[in-house]
Amino acid sequence: MFRLLCMFVTIALSSQLLAKDIDPASYGYPLTNPFESTIATTPLQLRGPMSADQDIDQQDFSLRLRPEREFTLPDNFWAVKSLHYRVARQSGPAPLIFIISGTGADYASSQTESLKRVFYAAGYHVVQLSSPSSYDFMAAASRLATPGLSAEDAQDLYRVMLAVRAQQKDLPVTGYYLVGYSLGALHAAFVSQLDDQRHGFNFRRVLMLNPPVNMNTSIRNLDRLVQVRLENIAGNANFYELILEKLSQYFRYRGYINLDEALLYDFQQSSFKLSNEQMAMLIGSVFRLTVADIAFTSDLINRRGLITPPGYPIDNGTRLEPFFKKALLCNFDCYVTEQVIPLWRERYGGGSLTQMIDEISLYAVEDYLRQTSKIAVMHNADDMILGPGDIGFLRRTLGDRLTLYPYGGHCGNLAYRVNVENMLEFLRD
Amino acid sequence: MIRPRYLSSPGSTGRRRGSLFLPVLLLLGAIGIQAAPREADEDGFAYPLSRLEFNPGLDQRIFERSTFDALDIYDPYEPFNRRMYHFNYRLDQWVLLPVVRGYRYVTPRFVRTGVTNFFNNFGDVANLANSLLQLKIERSMQITARLLFNTVFGIGGLWDPATRMGLPRQVEDFGQTLAYYGTPPGPYLILPMLGPSNLRDTTGLVLNYGLETEVNFLGYHRASNKYPALTALRLVDLRHSVEFRYGQLNSPFEYEKIRYIYTRARELQAED
Repeated sequence: MFRLLCMFVTIALSSQLLAKDIDPASYGYPLTNPFESTIATTPLQLRGPMSADQDIDQQDFSLRLRPEREFTLPDNFWAVKSLHYRVARQSGPAPLIFIISGTGADYASSQTESLKRVFYAAGYHVVQLSSPSSYDFMAAASRLATPGLSAEDAQDLYRVMLAVRAQQKDLPVTGYYLVGYSLGALHAAFVSQLDDQRHGFNFRRVLMLNPPVNMNTSIRNLDRLVQVRLENIAGNANFYELILEKLSQYFRYRGYINLDEALLYDFQQSSFKLSNEQMAMLIGSVFRLTVADIAFTSDLINRRGLITPPGYPIDNGTRLEPFFKKALLCNFDCYVTEQVIPLWRERYGGGSLTQMIDEISLYAVEDYLRQTSKIAVMHNADDMILGPGDIGFLRRTLGDRLTLYPYGGHCGNLAYRVNVENMLEFLRD
Repeated sequence: MIRPRYLSSPGSTGRRRGSLFLPVLLLLGAIGIQAAPREADEDGFAYPLSRLEFNPGLDQRIFERSTFDALDIYDPYEPFNRRMYHFNYRLDQWVLLPVVRGYRYVTPRFVRTGVTNFFNNFGDVANLANSLLQLKIERSMQITARLLFNTVFGIGGLWDPATRMGLPRQVEDFGQTLAYYGTPPGPYLILPMLGPSNLRDTTGLVLNYGLETEVNFLGYHRASNKYPALTALRLVDLRHSVEFRYGQLNSPFEYEKIRYIYTRARELQAED
């Protein structure tokens, strides 16, 4: 009997270290296609509790973190010479949660807004921050303005967070929390590590939602998305026109135009729905447009002369189309090769690509993640920024602090009620 | 609901060995594992990209070609337009949005909805005229019904009972009518305060103003001449109900992107 008990206890203990795998049958998230979930996210009626916009006491603020840029940047950057962020405040003392946005996303992007509604409804003050890879952050807050070096990006973020706290000093905060999604989740890990050295916030809990594990894998996967084979594209046909044509056929069939959140979901249920390749192309295009922004902005701020000739006169009236076109030709891989690696070599005295990938990926914080019980990762088995072995890495490193959902694509299920419940539960205990 | 890992990683081995493993798969399905083929490995990774067919070999550059194509819009006054875009951006940030915030602060929600409904109902006159001009009989009848219901039962349009009765608002403006009769869009224009437009739609706006003057529906035009505050309220309401924010796309190329979106959206509306 005693032996049996021992065995039972051993099994119970060892299963504690295993990741929480959410069972597909009871999960109930309706979109099992990863591309569909990434684009359409969660149907409205299946979302967790969220505050309505009009019930949130929120305001945008701005910080002047790099005053010298006001002189060095061209006039048409006037709107991003100071960094904007959004604060949603509760009426009384409450815990505060920082949200770090994903690749290229600013503080007001839809995914960040959606997370804000979730945490605000749960009683947190919420501070929404732009990603270090977004246009506004690069121009207004980033020292190197070359997003990709995760440790440097985390330092910029940390500085922004300290400045936010200084500016919001009348906000009654009972404790600090941190959450990031996509690339922001990777940043959250680095920021948390930094905070454990400097003790500026002493985050109680850090939540990473759909982080990239190996940056090289994520970059290559995203670059590959625009290399899919499309059936109806021959010769000079335009891919955007193809999508718009399908949408307008759908509207004609429905008899009216509705541009609400349910649109994409309904559209994919109709006979006009997009194929996997078309959806992949759409997701890939969004990322490529982001890369074009990053490549252009980074090159311009650092005067590298790869896209904009240094000293080229730019004012409010200057045509930027030639530079846009040049930047569009540069994919993620090209941006890393042309702008990130040279900077990294210069700052850290050489080193190979593999070394750099190790330093900017989650591998760099592996030991930290293993030891730090306040950090949890939530990920999806069908996330397209992951490659083989990435989930294995997360399982080994985080043990039962990894929750793996069977569906959701890349960040598609963040607002789903089961995910929301799990997030809030982790932050609460 | 939360299962240990060894239970929930569906063996791709089951699929490989074929029909022999079907009973096992069914059994696994019964204890909550998806039976549909999903090539998950032992970590649980589902290989999403394996669902896609890729172009073999050479880069077809579909993305680049499509985006270049989308940039090709007739915009001869670009330097002027860009300056106007920045002017509007600043005006929006420093004047219009603060005014809208104040408006939202001082008025209860039902008042704002009433104001929006009133101006929408008012705009249905132009929608009806254009629907008729484009010979869209069914739509014209729907808009007529809307006008009647909303003006009579909605007390001058302050409420919008027609939408609840299944007659959603349908916008038809003079720009669309001109497009219907084959007028090309002409050069892209950014109008002061009003934002993206083109020569055709700008002409449409002027015609619309002319129509409002002539029809003088509910005596609004004459009243607005007497009380400029009415026109101000209309502008505030317009800014209040338009969701767009400058800088929303957060891109150094926002101008180009908006130009494409506006142009294509107008083409789609004209086709509708």
